[in-house]
Amino acid sequence: MAQEQRIGSILVADCGAVMTKAMLLDQVNGQYRFVAQGEALTTTRHPWSDVAAGIRHAIEQISAVTGRRFLDGSANLISPELSNRQGVDVFAATISASQPLQVVLGGLVQDLSIASAERAAAGTYSQIRAILDGGKRGTSSDKEHVRAIRDNAPDVVCIAGGTEGGADRPVLELVESTTLACSMMEPEVRPLVLYAGNSQLRRQVTEIVGEEAELRVADNVLPTLEGENLLNAQEELDALYVQQKMGELPGIDTVSNWSPAPITPTARAFGRLMQYLWHLGEPPDIVKGSKATPSSGILGVDVGAASTTVAAVFDGQLFLTVRGDLGVAFGGERLLQKQGTETITRWLPEPMDGNEARGFFINRAMHPTSIPQEPRELWLEQALTREAIRTTLQIARPGWRPGVAQPYSHLLPLFDTIVVSGGVLAHAPHPGQAALIVLDGLEPIGITTLVLDAHGLAPALGNVAAVKPLAAVEALDGGGFINLATVITPIGEARPGDTVLRVQVTYDDDSTFSVEVNYGDLEVLPLPPGQQAVLELHPRRGFDVGLGGPGKSGKRQVSGGLVGLIIDARGRPLALSSDPQQSQAQVQQWLWDVGG
Amino acid sequence: MLPIPGQVLVNVGDPVDPTQVVARTNLLGDFHIVPAARLLGIPTSQLGRHLRVRLGDEVRRGQTIAALSGPLGRSVKSPLNGVVTASGSGRILIEAQPTRFELRAYIDGTVSDVLRNYGVTIETMGAIIQGVWGAGRESFGVLKCMVKSPDQPLRARSIDSSCHGTILIGGTKLNEAVLERAQELQVRGIVTGGLAPEMLPLMKGVLFPVVVTEGIGEVPMSEPIFRLLATNEGREASISGRVRPRGGITRPEIIIPLPSGSTPPTQAQVRSPLEVGMQVRVVRAPLIGAVGTVVALPTHAHRIETGARVRGAEVDLNQAEPVFVPLANLEVLR
Repeated sequence: MAQEQRIGSILVADCGAVMTKAMLLDQVNGQYRFVAQGEALTTTRHPWSDVAAGIRHAIEQISAVTGRRFLDGSANLISPELSNRQGVDVFAATISASQPLQVVLGGLVQDLSIASAERAAAGTYSQIRAILDGGKRGTSSDKEHVRAIRDNAPDVVCIAGGTEGGADRPVLELVESTTLACSMMEPEVRPLVLYAGNSQLRRQVTEIVGEEAELRVADNVLPTLEGENLLNAQEELDALYVQQKMGELPGIDTVSNWSPAPITPTARAFGRLMQYLWHLGEPPDIVKGSKATPSSGILGVDVGAASTTVAAVFDGQLFLTVRGDLGVAFGGERLLQKQGTETITRWLPEPMDGNEARGFFINRAMHPTSIPQEPRELWLEQALTREAIRTTLQIARPGWRPGVAQPYSHLLPLFDTIVVSGGVLAHAPHPGQAALIVLDGLEPIGITTLVLDAHGLAPALGNVAAVKPLAAVEALDGGGFINLATVITPIGEARPGDTVLRVQVTYDDDSTFSVEVNYGDLEVLPLPPGQQAVLELHPRRGFDVGLGGPGKSGKRQVSGGLVGLIIDARGRPLALSSDPQQSQAQVQQWLWDVGG
Repeated sequence: MLPIPGQVLVNVGDPVDPTQVVARTNLLGDFHIVPAARLLGIPTSQLGRHLRVRLGDEVRRGQTIAALSGPLGRSVKSPLNGVVTASGSGRILIEAQPTRFELRAYIDGTVSDVLRNYGVTIETMGAIIQGVWGAGRESFGVLKCMVKSPDQPLRARSIDSSCHGTILIGGTKLNEAVLERAQELQVRGIVTGGLAPEMLPLMKGVLFPVVVTEGIGEVPMSEPIFRLLATNEGREASISGRVRPRGGITRPEIIIPLPSGSTPPTQAQVRSPLEVGMQVRVVRAPLIGAVGTVVALPTHAHRIETGARVRGAEVDLNQAEPVFVPLANLEVLR
């Protein structure tokens, strides 16, 4: 407690795959405020090969802006803050600059234990190199499994399978193949084996693995067919990421010496902030009017240069999913090859063939800090962002336990607040484009507030919340995030052109505005940031706007945003025309509708 | 570096040439898991007493490795030449002889550091050109310029027997016929400014390194790079097509060693800010690959075609007027 009382200034750094940010929070008139930010290239590679160098470069920018000195003569951080205001009281860092953990997964059934193991691995920065399907038995399968491990040389082989008291022989055969593969590899390159299957087999698993590999054991990820238990396996894999990948970064020891708290993976800090926002109960001013209630959740989405993170919180429980191999700078070409050109080009307002798209993604990966100069390239980047969100969500959703927050099992659960972060969203030339990317990527339902993390503060504030919770709250209050839009999405079916919702908006000055929204339309109503309004919503019979069920009318106070109020009556699930020309016209119309 | 631990054959201070083997290791070969217990029709726990080989034994294809007693007893034979490396759970693992992997120096130079069991660092004095995309591995050969200017394509008809053993310098692009002809005449590598996206699938099986200096698409080689390569025509160079965008950022490259005794260039300042007068290259469309000189650094953001407002530089690209290019899309040429 005495230590906490002394925390005045806080410097947080986030080292991404491409850029490193440093942010200074300090007390202004007795309240913590986000004071200054610096940004520089991440320096894990030649010619620096020192992650601390990038942090120093970013800190130098903060020094230039604030006139304060934070580094001593040896270029080390000055901490705690001195009486002449040099230095900071606390430093904390988050990192996603490391290579993802290379994982081979093993399980018995694709849609069950293998899917659960995949979701466990997705709790941290990982890349799945191969999947061992224990459902296929026989010598040739053994050979495939051994070859898959040997040829891919992963960091870890994670074996799941067998509910409690369930299958045993197939699981043990997977362990035998894995052990055989390890015995064929040089000791220095053997993977660690993480066993997260039928716990009754642990003794036998330990005997089989013996001295051939390091073995760790986690709770069964699928103890029963009715429910997953991923937390322990996720924690083990996250710990491996921290130890083997983050721990290998050049210069990491310097950064660790600056920070009293352990350095945290960026995704984990991001998820922590979402959890923190949920627990706040009464959220800060920026989201006032759309309070998280037990009947809905909070969602955070971060699309970075090299990875995409989705963090959902229901009843205070966090469900974290990371695609460690897919971001807007890296992974686009692989996505194109794996899912097909049409997956990306369907989001474009003009024609583009697969070869051109592939060439773009290759060029983009070699220049990850560059920005689109032509609209064509901008649309392609924004299309990739949509698909990064959608594919990550596909992995995440089956593992969620939203309870009453999910009135429709085939649609997204209800979220009061969706926080979005990432360069393509924060730097979209028009905020309407950012809002449309989120609507197309997530397909939210009911009444939701979209909040934009315009400065990339979310992971930093998640880290700050662990050190000084009050600082995180006050920094959010002080304008750390910006309201992007309040979105109303009526759920139901009708013919295009049928009126599905009547909306009356009563502004702060008591002026009113009414509109009828037709099925298929995307309507944008003005409500600038800082303003409030009361919406009176009258959905058509059979349509649900999240006020208690189909046909239920009601009032809701909402906050303004950069885009204002969006009524998305395009239908759920969102349907794009299969005719390329028509879908291009559709996308173009939507862009015009949101002002982009 | 070796892909797996092995043996380093040189020491710090040793001079090396491109073909010299500096390290070697044994790569794992094929293997076979023989379900011997099942084939003999016995419980897995009983296999041990019926083995006819021990761990570490070399076996030949067709050799009996397990058998039941008696003249009519069943037997199991090895499916390949190899070594018995494991047995258990009713199975026998036989691994084929490993294949020798030799790591060559790939450039002329001097060993400056040894990474124990893995490889070496070699220092050399010369010019290095880094590309943006590549295919193939490492090679070396004599540079041969095949085009008169960097905006001309490399044509198959210009590749003749004099190209054998050379690294071809092209311009904007190359096509399938160029690849076929080059492979026929055993060219050692190709350097091109651009590469059409439809050529990408063909690059998987190419037998020599290809280095793309500017980007995917029909893009002329930048003038400084072309000039550097063309003026060194006839000189030996090393070429690598390896590319890895994320993490280590491995870029494809051409290294032209200078003759010994040459004066080393002044060390480039890595973090010197962009200044008027610097030579820069544009890395994004619509001017990808264009090279010019910074003539002004506006203090205010400009709106570009996408609608974004960004900081940038006015660059003289030998057009009618200087062009505004976002700072994020410029590379300084040093």
